[in-house]
Amino acid sequence: MDELRTGYAETALTNGYEFTSGSGYQLPEYPFEAPAELATGTVGEHPVVIVGAGLAGLTAACALAHYGIPAVLLDEDNTVGVKGASSRGICYTQKSLEIFHRLGVYERIARKGIQWSVGRTFAGQDEVYSFDLRQQSGYNLSIQPPFINIQQFYIEGYLVERIRELGVVQLRWNNRVTGFQQDDDGATLSVTTPAGDYRIRAQHVIDASGCHSPFRQWVGASVTAKKGDDRWCIADVRFTKHPPVERHTWIEAPFNENRAVWQHLMGDEVWRIDYQMAPNADPEEVSREDVVRQRLQRQFGADCEVEIVWVGPYAYRSECVDAMRHGRVFFVGDAAKVVSPFGARGGNTGIADADNLAWKLAAVLQGRAPAALLDSYHEERHEAARQNVLVTNRTARFLRPADGIERVFRNAAVGLARQFPFARQLVNTGRMAIANPYTSSSVCDRTGGLSVQNVAFEWPDGSRGVVNDLLQWAEGRLLLLVFGDPGRAGLSRLRELSEAAPLRCLQVLGPNQRPGAVEHVRDPQGHLQGACHVFGHAWALVRPDSYVAATGESVDASLVQAIARALGAAGAHE
Amino acid sequence: MKLPTSMKTTLNFQDADTFYEQLLDAHQGLSRDQSELLNARLILLLANQVGDARVLEECVAAAKDFH
Repeated sequence: MDELRTGYAETALTNGYEFTSGSGYQLPEYPFEAPAELATGTVGEHPVVIVGAGLAGLTAACALAHYGIPAVLLDEDNTVGVKGASSRGICYTQKSLEIFHRLGVYERIARKGIQWSVGRTFAGQDEVYSFDLRQQSGYNLSIQPPFINIQQFYIEGYLVERIRELGVVQLRWNNRVTGFQQDDDGATLSVTTPAGDYRIRAQHVIDASGCHSPFRQWVGASVTAKKGDDRWCIADVRFTKHPPVERHTWIEAPFNENRAVWQHLMGDEVWRIDYQMAPNADPEEVSREDVVRQRLQRQFGADCEVEIVWVGPYAYRSECVDAMRHGRVFFVGDAAKVVSPFGARGGNTGIADADNLAWKLAAVLQGRAPAALLDSYHEERHEAARQNVLVTNRTARFLRPADGIERVFRNAAVGLARQFPFARQLVNTGRMAIANPYTSSSVCDRTGGLSVQNVAFEWPDGSRGVVNDLLQWAEGRLLLLVFGDPGRAGLSRLRELSEAAPLRCLQVLGPNQRPGAVEHVRDPQGHLQGACHVFGHAWALVRPDSYVAATGESVDASLVQAIARALGAAGAHE
Repeated sequence: MKLPTSMKTTLNFQDADTFYEQLLDAHQGLSRDQSELLNARLILLLANQVGDARVLEECVAAAKDFH
């Protein structure tokens, strides 16, 4: 993708709730190539077929390519960017950025995107709440920043190019899935292309086809849904006068009839201004150019020259499938759950879904783990989905209180927040997405289930390494980090373990400790240890998705059991 | 069997009569809407004094399930 020329084209003003095309942005197009199945007339057999080349599908494809799984990705379109959806992600969390770092696209994202850490919330003219994520200990260890804002299609484009570079996964553009069946041996998908129809077989199917997924019906997936009446209208704009590079939110904006407004910067100096509309607002009316310009003028002043890049009205809903796995089908991203955009909990959790599933599929397909490991995908990511639905629904309720007592309580909370620090915590303009913890996973110990940040340490020669280097080195196996000196007997047990199990073992030394026989790195400031959530002499079993499966103190039977359990081995449960 | 609760149901006020009077006085001369808002502010202020999530949950439940 040519970063200088791709990006945004002429102004596009589009109407309609369900369909808003992104013609304001110039998107890369990928060539259709007739699949081998069409030429040979045979049904192709593949370990994994991914449906949908959005954030989640492309992340899954790129991760599987890294693990050496020759998956096939089918996309109905020939470009990135979401056609038919009216809102797209702009805000990527540290965990997503760490995943992208591991997949080899982070540097491009960092160059194109905008870093931010300060958020301010206003009611009327007053600032009622602000935060600086860099000051929060949860974010400051990783080499990746708390957030980067960038248009979704850039990330998708970078992933496409990375997948092509890795050359393991086939990308099939203009391949629309029209039918699905599964049996004891696999799944069959019917595919329509410009050159004809064909069928393809897969051992596993990743449904990343978004919120209108046809798979939900094909597999009979039940969905828990909630629809709100809240209406919003996005204006992506460029200015002559710049607001500060911070996340600004208004609960009650005087320039928007005392309704909410979001203001955020993305790449190419494009700002996203998201206006809350009246519940009964007519989407055509609110997104008309003169109306949008008036609204922008009220906010930024008549003298501010504004170039409109893209306008899209939208209504949100929340949906969550009740099971993330149906036989051979795994729901990821918006196919699994749809949330309102508050707190960036949509796209980011789709990326995490994909990263969670990819290593498990690779471990099972490459014989490192039993098939039972795949059940943990639902356990872990459904917990995350439920949590994200819960958190975003709370924000939605604060921002669009029901008439009557809900509005009274909001007025009370906003009023108190102006005077008393405690009440600022009640002001909910979105709780930023985090790496969701797994508290009820059958493959995580109660000491595990937490994300490990991509922190730095020292290689034996004094050069800098990061956690992602270690995960790369582990090549899809578990990574056992042993902090301190496990003793002679411990070291020999570790050697035996790493020969017997799909495991890479590493000793992590403090400033003055001597290395034992196993491979080692140094952690002079204790960052690696902190990132693994352990203290003193301890071990941490880290998974390929950079989550701790379990931690412990002594190198004994409990470690052996933790390894088996982390891989979904039957009988490993307590 | 009833689980032990964290919410106090026995007297904890230092001076119940004074508080009750202060509460009524605070509402004097207010419209229904103003009173509603005052009550909401007061609930939030008091809830922060309590802090404890379990006590708050039990207080909400006790007020709601009252009969």
